[in-house]
Amino acid sequence: MEIYLPIAEQSMNIFVLLGLGAAAGLLAGMFGVGGGFLATPLLIFVGIPPAVAVASQANQVVANSVSSLQVQLRRGNVDLRMGLVLLLGGMLGSSAGVWLFTYLKRIGQIDFVIAVLYVVMLSAIGFLMLAESLRTYVKRRRNPEGPRGKLHTHYLVHRLPLKLRFYKSKLYISALLPIGLGFVIGILSAILGVGGGFVLVPAMIYLLGMPTAVVIGTSNFQILFVAANVTFLQAATNGTVDVVLALLLILGGVVGAPIGARLAAKLPGVVLRGLMSVLILAVAAELLTELLRTPSSLYSLGTREPAP
Amino acid sequence: MKRLLLALLAIAALIPAASAQRIEQLPAPGIGGPPDASSPPSVPAESTTPELIVDLSRARVSITSAFQGESILMFGMFDPPGEIVVVVQGPAARETVMRKQRVLGLWLNTGRQAFDDVPAYYAIAASQPLQRLLARGAGGEILSLEDRLSSLKPATPREAAQLAQFRAGLVEVKRREGLYPAAFGQVTVQAGRLFRVDLPFPSRLPEGVYEIKAYLLREGRIVAAVSRPLPVGKVGFSAQLAGWADHEGALYGLGAILMALLAGWLGGALMRRL
Repeated sequence: MEIYLPIAEQSMNIFVLLGLGAAAGLLAGMFGVGGGFLATPLLIFVGIPPAVAVASQANQVVANSVSSLQVQLRRGNVDLRMGLVLLLGGMLGSSAGVWLFTYLKRIGQIDFVIAVLYVVMLSAIGFLMLAESLRTYVKRRRNPEGPRGKLHTHYLVHRLPLKLRFYKSKLYISALLPIGLGFVIGILSAILGVGGGFVLVPAMIYLLGMPTAVVIGTSNFQILFVAANVTFLQAATNGTVDVVLALLLILGGVVGAPIGARLAAKLPGVVLRGLMSVLILAVAAELLTELLRTPSSLYSLGTREPAP
Repeated sequence: MKRLLLALLAIAALIPAASAQRIEQLPAPGIGGPPDASSPPSVPAESTTPELIVDLSRARVSITSAFQGESILMFGMFDPPGEIVVVVQGPAARETVMRKQRVLGLWLNTGRQAFDDVPAYYAIAASQPLQRLLARGAGGEILSLEDRLSSLKPATPREAAQLAQFRAGLVEVKRREGLYPAAFGQVTVQAGRLFRVDLPFPSRLPEGVYEIKAYLLREGRIVAAVSRPLPVGKVGFSAQLAGWADHEGALYGLGAILMALLAGWLGGALMRRL
């Protein structure tokens, strides 16, 4: 069954889109990340213009993170103070990101930049996760009850000024650090249409040294508002948010997420992370071949403008 | 008078080509009426005696949420002898063509060239091979796709050979999108005076008022021409949404966020119950 997407200006099979949403939701449920980093490239693969895919995906991330945040808030797993500081950076970063997006679109390089950023990011994360899960797997087999490390280590970054106390995260660090992190995630969010959880979560654990328990909830908090900001700015400046597309992805996600959560409960974490890293690397490889392969047509068209 | 009545009868017989039973239900005197009272008269202003009468199976192309492209039938009648040429043109705009090149192993857009006055859609069909018809002197008024595009004005100057490449690239992309259909069939003529041609429109169709022009040629000269506008636009829910996105971007954005918040919240709550 085909449905016409009014902003993408083309018709598309409704079940393909629902399925994509469900797949992203499944990942979200399984790994606690948004799934946008896989849904956006897949949308581009099925022929949605990258600009529309990214902006509409940001809209889907809003729905996704509000439904996760619901749970996290109830469990008290959100460090609001940290969330707000991250958000300060996130708002600045996502606004800068949308501006950059608009500029890149005008000079006709946005598709290339999206593809390259995805390849770089997905392969980096994929390899890190794969290495980590292999290491854990090997270590567990040798020593099932391995010694616990320190809560967190201190690096040079902890000497930055503007120190703030984050009680819930049991941290006393410079506010510049989370602001900077939020800024970078904001830019990624605007250009790639992702929540950025898959970068934010590891960064919060390893870079900021936050306790794992509050990481997911706090990142969800930041992602919700950043995705909302991206949706708003993309709609206001580029007019590329397709709500019909977003709604179909959301509906699919609503079905997929609990299935993913149930699957995740059955499989051990190491296996999950291993599986996920393979999936991420597969998407990265596909995007890379697209960039390397001689295209079927060397030519493409920019946006039509009424005659001056 | 007799001729006109015959023409109208012919038109009426062609309209419900798909549903033959409908014509039987129509009372005989009613057949002569035009299919759509609000549509402009088919008779061209320039010719007093209607040597060429045309109509379309639809007055407009409506892009609804179920739109998957559409085929529109143009049909009509002419005074023999003669040949029919039909030209369909979409609204003109500035179009930017981008060319990819391999840089450090990666394919990226390196060249760009804007052209002015590019028709969004262009198609031409004739009742005889086009070259033969146009070679006899009707050219100038009736243009094949190649002729129409060779006159495109580049927005920025560039050497001729390069321009030709970009122009070819433009045609290639438009062909792929079905906007410059290469062969959309011939104009078929029946009984020496009735003609019909199917005009295919793809799903990714730019909006605007298209112009469908039919020419009657005799000995390579245009003896009659009739032009019909064909509005192409989104209607219903799609039109509403696209309109908001276009004119009220900020409001549309807020609406999109609200929709996502509501759907995410409800969906999350609902699935946890199950």
